[in-house]
Amino acid sequence: MSAVKLMTLVRKEWLEQLRSFKLIWIPLVFALLGIMQPLTNYYMPVIIEKAGNMPEGAVIEMPVPSGAEVLAGTLSQFGMIGLLILALAFMGAVSGDRNSGAASLVLVKPVSFLSFILSKWLGMMTLLWGALLIGYAASWYYTWLLFETVDFAPFLLSYVLYGLWFTFILTAVLLFSTLLRSAAGAAFSALGLALLLTALSGIAPKYMGWSPSSLTGFAYEAVQGGFDASASFGWSIGVTILLIAAGIAGSSALLRRQPALD
Amino acid sequence: MNETLELNKLIGILAPVLIIQFILMIIALVQCIKAEETRGPKVMWVLIILFVNLLGPVAFFLFGRRKV
Repeated sequence: MSAVKLMTLVRKEWLEQLRSFKLIWIPLVFALLGIMQPLTNYYMPVIIEKAGNMPEGAVIEMPVPSGAEVLAGTLSQFGMIGLLILALAFMGAVSGDRNSGAASLVLVKPVSFLSFILSKWLGMMTLLWGALLIGYAASWYYTWLLFETVDFAPFLLSYVLYGLWFTFILTAVLLFSTLLRSAAGAAFSALGLALLLTALSGIAPKYMGWSPSSLTGFAYEAVQGGFDASASFGWSIGVTILLIAAGIAGSSALLRRQPALD
Repeated sequence: MNETLELNKLIGILAPVLIIQFILMIIALVQCIKAEETRGPKVMWVLIILFVNLLGPVAFFLFGRRKV
């Protein structure tokens, strides 16, 4: 598997993303999500005053959120809507190619299964990390504009941690997309996995510290500054990276078993 | 005087949101009209893209197009 061949395949992924406009609309939607969070936080008192059915003369004191809290809110927005959009956008990554016969066309050439999967994965990753950066930076800028400055280091650390969690889920999308014939099935299995892991770490945070889903919690802590690298932090990063590698290897093995529809 | 200042600030803050939504809508509309076949009636998609803010274009990008 040469790097040149892999790059060619990755370039084909980018071209496909451009032709389907994914390269444009996904970062735009992330930017919009990132801007909306500080905006709604800032105008919440006005919105409640205008739209809520408050009795005459009622006064509600709303504490002004700190910049870090706004950014944490943005991350949790990305974690729900952003993840849903990304999973749905990439649900047909392998199964779509297999059903349409495009996978066979590529795989008859001297291309290894691993580099085919890796090119899909790298194409997803560039879009994911790019869109997340654009959206999160937009949110950072608006937080600075409307609230206060948040330091660069916590911003960057929380970005990387959240990106790692997204990477894990998108690798699961890729794996399920190789395993299952239906694209929707792949998206919902991966999202179900995300929900399950998040719920488990919510119920038993002590025992689930090693799980990839605790990365989101670490990201919230990181952006709010109260972050100390505990043992479970190292574990969760290690386990996540291991699972991502296993997911890629597993997809490649599954593709080898069934490269095309028979 | 004070109110116009406030309004100007609001427009400045909201402009990127409106511009991004507009771009998304245009891309989705062009794609929808150019597409040979959409999942469901084309008119329905045009209406959804035009009238459902943000989610309309996104829904079209995700579900509206038939994979060839």
